[in-house]
Amino acid sequence: MAPKPKELKADFWKTKDFKISIGDIISEDGIESTDESSVVMGPTQKPNVTDLRSWDMKLLERYPPFYSPFCDMCCLCTYGKCDLLNKRGACGIDAETQQARTILLACCIGSAAHSGHARHLVEYLIDKKGDDFPIDLGMDIDIEAPIMRTLIGKKPKVLGDLKEALDYLEEQMVHLLSACHTGQEGSSKDFESKALHAGLMDNLGKEVGDIAQIAALDLPKGDPEAPLVELGVGTIDREKPVILCIGHNVAPGAGIMDYLEDQELEDDLEVCGICCAAIDITRYNHNAKIVGPISKQLKFIRSGVADVIVVDEQCIRTDVLEEAKKNNATVIATTDKMCLGLPDKTNEDADIIVSELISNQIDGALILDPDKVGEVATKVAMKTSGERSKVQVLPDMDEFVELAKKCTECEWCVRVCPNSLPMMDAVVATSEGDISKMEELYKNDVCYSCGRCEQECPRDIPIISMMAKVGEKDLENQKYNVRAGRGPVQDVEVRKVGAPIVLGDIPGVIAFVGCTNYPDGGEEVAKMAEEFLERNYIVVTTGCGAMTLGEYRDEEGKTLYERYSGSFDAKGLVNMGSCVSNAHIPGVAIKIANIFAKKPLEGNFEEIADYILNRVGACGVAWGAYSQKAAAIATGVNRWGIPVVVGPQASKYRRLFLGRTDKEDSWRINDLRKHSEVAGEPAPEHLLYAAETIGEATVMTAKLCIRPNDTSKGRQLKLNHYIDLHKKYFGTLPNDIYKFVRVEKDIPITYKRDVMQILEENNWKPREIPQEPSLMDMKGD
Amino acid sequence: MNERVIPWQPTVIAGPKQALLVTPETAKMMMKKAKRPLLVIGPLAKEEPLLTHSIEIAEKWDLPVVTTADTFKIFSERNVETKSYGTVEILNLLKDPDWKGVMGEGQHDLVIFVGGIYYMASQGLSTLKHFAPHLKTLTICKYFHSNADASFPNMNDEEWSKYLEKMKLN
Ligand code: SF4
Ligand code: SF4
Ligand code: SF4
Repeated sequence: MAPKPKELKADFWKTKDFKISIGDIISEDGIESTDESSVVMGPTQKPNVTDLRSWDMKLLERYPPFYSPFCDMCCLCTYGKCDLLNKRGACGIDAETQQARTILLACCIGSAAHSGHARHLVEYLIDKKGDDFPIDLGMDIDIEAPIMRTLIGKKPKVLGDLKEALDYLEEQMVHLLSACHTGQEGSSKDFESKALHAGLMDNLGKEVGDIAQIAALDLPKGDPEAPLVELGVGTIDREKPVILCIGHNVAPGAGIMDYLEDQELEDDLEVCGICCAAIDITRYNHNAKIVGPISKQLKFIRSGVADVIVVDEQCIRTDVLEEAKKNNATVIATTDKMCLGLPDKTNEDADIIVSELISNQIDGALILDPDKVGEVATKVAMKTSGERSKVQVLPDMDEFVELAKKCTECEWCVRVCPNSLPMMDAVVATSEGDISKMEELYKNDVCYSCGRCEQECPRDIPIISMMAKVGEKDLENQKYNVRAGRGPVQDVEVRKVGAPIVLGDIPGVIAFVGCTNYPDGGEEVAKMAEEFLERNYIVVTTGCGAMTLGEYRDEEGKTLYERYSGSFDAKGLVNMGSCVSNAHIPGVAIKIANIFAKKPLEGNFEEIADYILNRVGACGVAWGAYSQKAAAIATGVNRWGIPVVVGPQASKYRRLFLGRTDKEDSWRINDLRKHSEVAGEPAPEHLLYAAETIGEATVMTAKLCIRPNDTSKGRQLKLNHYIDLHKKYFGTLPNDIYKFVRVEKDIPITYKRDVMQILEENNWKPREIPQEPSLMDMKGD
Repeated sequence: MNERVIPWQPTVIAGPKQALLVTPETAKMMMKKAKRPLLVIGPLAKEEPLLTHSIEIAEKWDLPVVTTADTFKIFSERNVETKSYGTVEILNLLKDPDWKGVMGEGQHDLVIFVGGIYYMASQGLSTLKHFAPHLKTLTICKYFHSNADASFPNMNDEEWSKYLEKMKLN
């Protein structure tokens, strides 16, 4: 049985390795208090751009950046365009350095998107609840903000404390972005170090944002039994007025839910969302519904179901206003990130805005006050819904068949499709009255409705509207669910699983994150998650990835969330929440270092990252990553020592971090227990890896959970899964298995004979298992 | 402009340098001239007819074969010996001038690609175009790959099939 958290506290703080015992008082009621003046600060409190450079160089030495230029040219200044193919630009930059610069730029954009979002949330929530509103994540979470504690050196106690972290990271971001200017950095490795810093700032910004909203809006506080919420196009009651929220900021959606509750209108309207706004609104109020991930966006807008579309920030189609106009839906913009040219009505009386909108005096409204958004969106939806339902927004199927007959089979729709999907065949079949091929593309969002094919079609065939129509055919079956985002992992859970993870008894923690730019739809991702759940891994997830996992039913009709518990434990499927909740993924790894291994956090980034890299078998999977935020997220977790597997399209990010198993010296480690450098192993083999197929990704993910610290028992388990999966997808045992066998006891019993044979073929010799593997204090440091 | 030499996905165009459009004859010339050629086969070759085509081409020219992704499985079921690497792993090795090649005899001087996912192959060819001046790349898919040194043009299945048949002759 797991020990009760409060009983363990004294034990946890008063350990021999923990340097700050003097000020930690166990008070009479058993609740510990921390006297901050006594916290011994590690070497890197509020690290500046170059402060963690030596750590970065260690990572980059082992996992050198692998570049795939998306473009040979640079067009960033008026000396250019410069062609950088085997030559330098007018400023002196070469192709490698230019790629790294572009990566830094992408990470800055992604990081700024999260941090800008966090800044908005913090200011808004302080305004609503006060500077001194307590950050209390409940009884079971003491380490509320592991990233903030590591980087800022403090635990935030009230909302106002979060501003210090934002001030710090905003300063860092200015320096990082400025390094992208012409004639600044001239080394690709240093650009990468800065990109890693931008990624780290991204992680910090997300943590600030999520903690602020969890505390102030009373979202689930690490609750493994957070309720299941409805997901899917088919769950939306089309008879009611419908408000659709798109984006990432919970505030406007929360404003709508509050207004409905105040007016007792909850049963009269449908509030639904796409992307992370949906996740966060359902964390706030379980009556809201999730349409689905980003891949549903254009199809769903086209379907005309939404009467009012409320947009906030990030990943929203920038043509949302034009699209909404096509079916008389009303658009309300709600943040400074996306104003869409609309008149600012923030200070206008709500009823006046409503009347201007329904009489079409204005194209839409910019309203920067979430409470007012709630009132206006509700009133407009109620007034326009009846009218709108009378107009048929999508042509009927016969009309589509006629339109499809215009197709000349030029194939341009296929050529411009990011995934070369067989859209032409689907259109041709439709022209013959057969929509099965269209349905194939609709199902599982194989086509993620980016709209490029439709834009290109010389015959103006409304391909996306056809997709929307096809989607309406089978609404009954498009009903799924997802466990509401629970936020961080509880300390008590970490106490329970810390040892099995670090020793390898739980074979790994796998995080399914990111967007739905999948090469072949979402189902294979859900099946991959299922595969790892069945094998006792812990699966965590966030954002659109969490929705993908909910959109898959087994033969009995059950979703993964119905089949697996929400606990952070073997076979647990943990939905942490939205994009900003991704912070809790490195967060839980940090907690393991702190709670299980008693590593102090404050100002101690390098030691923590070193611990995670060598001992915490975690691996991210971002099979559909597309955005700059995803670039920043992955780069940030890489700096903490967590590898990530991405899909084939992520080769367009331009840079991966790949290890070389043939370079044995690059895997040497320091055994801190013995103070001696020893031969290591390629564990984890890569830090950022693009796989081409889901089979390859599955096997690589299992392999990337191996860590030098595994006990023989743990190693056996991990190798067993690696071999099983390799046999499943490749048909044979992996021929690099000998690299991961340190002593005979590491060999999984079931495969002993076969593995021994491979060992012999490779002149394998046993080697010592390091007690405390580390990259710290190596020669030359 | 000739439709056949606009990159299959038109937006992968990267800069002024474009691949040379080649016929099977020129492609075979390149293979004959090469000292250490390598054939890299991607997951689109898990399906027929490319599976058989690529096996026969490899046999005809006695090419060492790398299969990427999980393509290895079907080849080994067909008793064709291949070395398995992730696409990005083999590219990473190919760009290192000191790597000894799959046979341990030295870095390859010609790499022939077939069956990779178009956009990923395009990115990989870009890597080699920029960072592997020591080798040439040739693609024999039915798509024009502007980032290769030499590429077949965009073709329909029928014409492509003829091209691949020709690759099996001297
Ligand atoms: S920044 Fe440098 S490479 Fe880019 S256009 Fe200007 S001079 Fe050329
Ligand atoms: S909408 Fe986008 S993903 Fe779908 S078929 Fe068209 S181009 Fe491809
Ligand atoms: S682009 Fe339009 S006309 Fe051309 S094949 Fe596709 S649907 Fe047909």
